[in-house]
Amino acid sequence: MKLDLHNVTKCFGATRALDALSLRIPAARVMVLIGPSGGGKSTLLRVLGGLEVPEQGTVTLNEHRLTGDPRALQAYRRRNGFVFQQFNLFPHLNARRNITLPLEKVHGHPPETARSLADQSLERFGLLDHADKLPSQLSGGQQQRVGIARAIAFSPEVLFLDEPTSALDPEMTAEVLELIQELAEAGQDIILSTHEMGFARAVADEVAFVCSGKIEESGAPQTLFGAPVSPVCQRFFSRVMRY
Amino acid sequence: MANAVAAVLLAAVFAGFCTLVLSGLDRPVDWSRAWAYRESLWRGWTTTLGLSLAALLGSIVFGLAFLMGQRSTLPVVRWTCRGFLEFVRDTPLLVHLLFGYFVIFAPLLSRPLAGLGWDDKVIIGIVLLSVFSGAYLGEILRGGVESIPATQWDAARAVGFGPWQVWRHVIFPQALRRVLPAIAGLFVSLIKDSSLLNVIGVSEYFYNTKNFISRSYAGLEGYLPLAAGYLVLTLPVAWLAHWLERRFRDET
Ligand SMILES: Nc1ncnc2c1ncn2[C@@H]1O[C@H](COP(=O)(O)OP(=O)(O)OP(=O)(O)O)[C@@H](O)[C@H]1O
Ligand SMILES: [Mg+2]
Repeated sequence: MKLDLHNVTKCFGATRALDALSLRIPAARVMVLIGPSGGGKSTLLRVLGGLEVPEQGTVTLNEHRLTGDPRALQAYRRRNGFVFQQFNLFPHLNARRNITLPLEKVHGHPPETARSLADQSLERFGLLDHADKLPSQLSGGQQQRVGIARAIAFSPEVLFLDEPTSALDPEMTAEVLELIQELAEAGQDIILSTHEMGFARAVADEVAFVCSGKIEESGAPQTLFGAPVSPVCQRFFSRVMRY
Repeated sequence: MANAVAAVLLAAVFAGFCTLVLSGLDRPVDWSRAWAYRESLWRGWTTTLGLSLAALLGSIVFGLAFLMGQRSTLPVVRWTCRGFLEFVRDTPLLVHLLFGYFVIFAPLLSRPLAGLGWDDKVIIGIVLLSVFSGAYLGEILRGGVESIPATQWDAARAVGFGPWQVWRHVIFPQALRRVLPAIAGLFVSLIKDSSLLNVIGVSEYFYNTKNFISRSYAGLEGYLPLAAGYLVLTLPVAWLAHWLERRFRDET
């Protein structure tokens, strides 16, 4: 995947969540956003995912130049998958229906095809036994895996994940991280934000450090984690690596 | 044990009260009087049933319109809607019916409706009742929709749903689940409030019963069937409400 952000600004009232942010990644399979809380990672992901329209700047992902046009944005969202920190499954639908509903209504698959696609991705993630359960009857880790299954059931161009494990306990975190790593190894293009530095390092081929609405530093994981140039970045690492 | 004692006591009090009331009547209860008026009473009851159903559908239409109006992107539409709803909810239904019928709609619509061979009182009554119930329904629905967290809107948009699909598949099913008991309660009120249409001369169940009572000097023979007639309509809705309430409570 290819990514080009130029001077992107997004404000919420008086807060500049993204402040003239620019970033160019010529080629990457897995890009990871790291940085302090409130730095703008989620906002950046939401802009990239077509859920939020920036006030200024241009965003180009592969050959798609994002605009503010609602129809174009919807078409763009149909091509990509998005996974949220809080899972955001539809609570009134069981796990399988959470996956088949968009397949039918958005991608126009007939019910039987949708069902077999859904069961394939549930099977792949070891969730087939839980297909008929409501989200509230699943553990956090299972819910998040259903969330990922929903996002990849229609083979998205790019999969966005916003802190997919920060609402999970360590064991569930491991099960979800393994799954993401598997997807990455299978060739899925991924952009994700995380506080799991070890995971970022293992899975990323491009890391961007987001702070105060800007890209403080970006590069290959070995460089960025091994020898960060920016003092903000250095301070952040020394703090998070202490424990 | 205590429960049994309480039951006996309550039954005794109730029986005593009934005897007192019955002995206070100046003449014996005579059901043949009600029987003589059965056709008029039956017609009134079916009218009440019909106009309750029509007003129920009408209030859904108005309720949805008020919901959308309050969520409009145009501030003027929002404010107008809010103002109108506030007015409707904070003034008595009796006033809407008298004012709406005699001052606003009858002068405008009576002739054209009569031309079509329709009873203007029933039609206008249904509309006024629908607006009144619709105002409450709009508020109930708005509460339901606002109780759905923003993350659900995000998730629905993220999977690629269009604006209509977001409502149809994600927001409405969840909001409706939360407010169905309240809606059922509202519909019970609507059925009871339809009796107020007698003030504009709609010959519904209350109106016809009142006529029967005043013409034949009936007492108990008129009021007992009156209460029973409304219970037959409202109890099923009330039961449905309780059932739904229990079901959705268990589900979450
Ligand atoms: N919907 C919103 N309304 C108002 N302010 C917001 C909103 N979303 C984000 N912000 C603000 O924008 C800034 C960036 O937030 P963002 O959620 O992007 O940070 P983050 O890097 O994802 O943080 P975290 O690691 O805690 O998730 C913060 O100051 C936040 O308060
Ligand atoms: Mg965040």
